[in-house]
Amino acid sequence: MATTQFDKIYYGLSSEVGKFRVAASGMAWKGEENDTVTAIPSAEVKWAQWCRVARNFQLRIGLKDRRRETFDGFLREDHDKLAGLLKQHFGVTLEVRDVTFKGWNWGVTDIQGQDLAFLVSNKTAFELPLSQVANSNIAGRTEVSLEFAPSTPSGKKPSRSAPDEMVEIRFYVPGTQARARGSDA
Amino acid sequence: GGGEKEGKTWKRFQSYKGESALPREVESLRICVDRKAQTIVLPVHGFAVPFHINTIKNVSKNDEGDYTYLRINFQTPGQLAGKKDDTPFEDPDSTFIRSVTYRSSDGHRFDTISKQITDLKKEVNKREQQKKEMAD
Repeated sequence: MATTQFDKIYYGLSSEVGKFRVAASGMAWKGEENDTVTAIPSAEVKWAQWCRVARNFQLRIGLKDRRRETFDGFLREDHDKLAGLLKQHFGVTLEVRDVTFKGWNWGVTDIQGQDLAFLVSNKTAFELPLSQVANSNIAGRTEVSLEFAPSTPSGKKPSRSAPDEMVEIRFYVPGTQARARGSDA
Repeated sequence: GGGEKEGKTWKRFQSYKGESALPREVESLRICVDRKAQTIVLPVHGFAVPFHINTIKNVSKNDEGDYTYLRINFQTPGQLAGKKDDTPFEDPDSTFIRSVTYRSSDGHRFDTISKQITDLKKEVNKREQQKKEMAD
């Protein structure tokens, strides 16, 4: 059976690029530096999504055990090819997820699976994996803060080209205030 | 009633019309200041999230050990200080992002970013002020 390869693909949020291959038996990513292989057998594939992220386009694969794997670095023109392969080999439809670039700081939060999504005009602005929330706090009934554990191990100084790490986000949630609803509707 | 809020003049603004307008530098997963689009693009768990300069209130920076922390504060309702007509109140019942904090071991770069954001904010405020004076 034929194998299709995509180059310069990232696995998860790692900085290592690798090759991503799709065949009837499944998908696999192989890193260029460490030769590590992440394989997803075809029987494990449940759904597939496509969305614009920082490193071009992301392919996210939902697995039978409810886990999710993400691969960044696909180009816009890879979409049709990838959609065809996923349909052909695994019988799944590559669902396009709309991302907003309006630049607004107001919207709606929505728990989607294991993520907290922030939506602006019904489009995703970003997602926060709840598993990585180290601490959360509610202040004055209307402010919620989420703290994230640093991903770089302590004692190890990150390189100068390391990504910027988000350590905290604060939301203002006016809806939690008691209001006289419908009094002057 | 309808969605119109009486008394508040809210000017519509937008960072980018589509994904293809994002600057290339966002690939680095680092904060990027796009002066042309009057926008700061923040990396949030792999996403490139633009914030128009109009949504930003100010930035603060502090050093702790090996790291520098940069905090970006946004305009939100319910902040008595700095209340302005052009605060985005399109829907006051929305959830607002109030602040985001980043850390980096490259304090020099955070210095530069902090200055770029502050300068862009000043530039935009000045232009608004000039427009208001022209209108009077």
